[in-house]
Amino acid sequence: MSILRKKLSEFDDILNADEIDTVSLGKICFHGVPDEPGGLRPLCWKLLLNYLPPKRSSWLETLKRKRELYNTFIEDLIVMPGESNAEDKERVDVTLHDHPLNLNPDSKWQTYFKDNEVLLQIDKDVRRLCPDISFFQQGTDYPCQKIVSANGQQRLHNRVQHTVLKSANVERKGLGITKIAVSVRKAAEDYAPLTEGGEAHWEVLERILFLYAKLNPGQGYVQGMNEIVGPIYHAFACDPDPTWRKHAEADTFFCFTNLMAEIRDFFIKTLDEAEFGINSMMSKLTNQVRANDPDVWLRLHQQELCPQYYSFRWLTLLLSQEFPLPDVMRIWDSLFADESRFSFLIHICCAMILLLRDQLLTGDFAANVKLLQNFPSMDIQIVLSKAAALAGKTL
Amino acid sequence: MAKTYDYLFKLLLIGDSGVGKTCVLFRFSEDAFNTTFISTIGIDFKIRTIELDGKKIKLQIWDTAGQERFRTITTAYYRGAMGIMLVYDVTNDKSFENIKNWIRNIEENASADVEKMLLGNKCELTDKRQVTKERGEQLAVEYGIKFMETSAKSSINVEEAFYTLARDIKAKMEKKLEASNPPKGGGHQLKASEPQRKPPSWLARCTIL
Repeated sequence: MSILRKKLSEFDDILNADEIDTVSLGKICFHGVPDEPGGLRPLCWKLLLNYLPPKRSSWLETLKRKRELYNTFIEDLIVMPGESNAEDKERVDVTLHDHPLNLNPDSKWQTYFKDNEVLLQIDKDVRRLCPDISFFQQGTDYPCQKIVSANGQQRLHNRVQHTVLKSANVERKGLGITKIAVSVRKAAEDYAPLTEGGEAHWEVLERILFLYAKLNPGQGYVQGMNEIVGPIYHAFACDPDPTWRKHAEADTFFCFTNLMAEIRDFFIKTLDEAEFGINSMMSKLTNQVRANDPDVWLRLHQQELCPQYYSFRWLTLLLSQEFPLPDVMRIWDSLFADESRFSFLIHICCAMILLLRDQLLTGDFAANVKLLQNFPSMDIQIVLSKAAALAGKTL
Repeated sequence: MAKTYDYLFKLLLIGDSGVGKTCVLFRFSEDAFNTTFISTIGIDFKIRTIELDGKKIKLQIWDTAGQERFRTITTAYYRGAMGIMLVYDVTNDKSFENIKNWIRNIEENASADVEKMLLGNKCELTDKRQVTKERGEQLAVEYGIKFMETSAKSSINVEEAFYTLARDIKAKMEKKLEASNPPKGGGHQLKASEPQRKPPSWLARCTIL
């Protein structure tokens, strides 16, 4: 039996049990979830991120409940709240109490304008997610019907579209002949929204992030969250099983929310100094480098090359900007499977530095910052094996 | 190790998210334009060596994330910076309005004599413009700093902007050096034979937009 076949049957055994043994699942996923046949990774991630309960028999009910809940979120938070529907016999005249210039902080209009600021930031970021692959610019097979068939009114990006008054040069020549020069600009934007009835994947992500920001007002949207939700959505939206793929949006939302619950401290400025805040993660990394390779540590220390220069991004984004997407997926298999949540992340970061040892020991400050900010492409297995060795595991 | 440059200047790019800081820097350091940039998280770094009046000047340029969350991370770089580019987007009024907040940030975190310059980027998008050139100029006058409209995409004024900032830092530095140890005819970084600086040539550059 080939190694892959053996591995696949191990996965089968674990995943087909009535009550899934999450410890065994974590152990096997730590070594990577096979890309083929597809569908394995999205299922494992849903389990590892505690979206699906271990008990198989409860899946149907859980999924139904969650997906309905997600629809309610869309209904309540995007398909304009307070908008009277056709069945209402009496149409409430809201203009009496509320209007766009209402300064009352409780005004729905105030909320609307505030939301649009958040939305503007999200819009900018989802349109520049993973530009090296075309996936996010393509249309989804499962657009949100409530949104895409509403004459563009519910489309989030429409709320933050730039509208500019057009001007034209008017030339008058002699006998009252007027020439109006109108320049027509054709925008060849890659991340263009799709037409009525269709929706690009980035539009779906925009909605997920907007809902997350609305439901977590203390945190809101922070740049980089797009890089966290992206790979999860990609995995779910590429599930070969259409019964799963169809619900990629709602499933992604909850898995993302669960993941954020574990790493949200990285995204909150006021928690930078807290126990699980980003600064403490960076010092853990520095200490680990120091313990494992004092020469490299000393070099970086003498060059005053602070971990903020490179590892802030590594840690906050769970390395999603450092490697190509397939490698990121493989890394996340191990991270999600890590029982002591994200301590393996530090090991990977440490491994990355140690693997560059020779270059770091000879490079000057500028060369070293550049090297660390643009990690050279290498077989991800090398990085992970080194990290596992640092963690006292084998991989 | 022999130094490959005469001066090392640390520069910083700040401004709202999406105004094109990374693109401006990419244009300057690689002379290319790329529409497919990912958002900058934390801080990024580029380097380019230029020559001014026969001196090799190594520019170490830090590109920062625009969003509020990263302010604590990025303000740490203000202190060491010798020059700061404040960038807004001429098609985004908000980003222009926010310049005064960025100035306040500089006042609170950077050294008092840091050279500043205001850039209105994306000036090639004429039919989307929200901020006139006059408003940019006016604001720059108000703060007593230089101003240019740039386009990273069409490669307008990017080179000129960085040279202007570098030239100003160099002038300031040489003035300081001169004051602390007047040139005694040789040996030092400032040659005695070096001609007095001409009336600044940036004046001409600055007005040709």
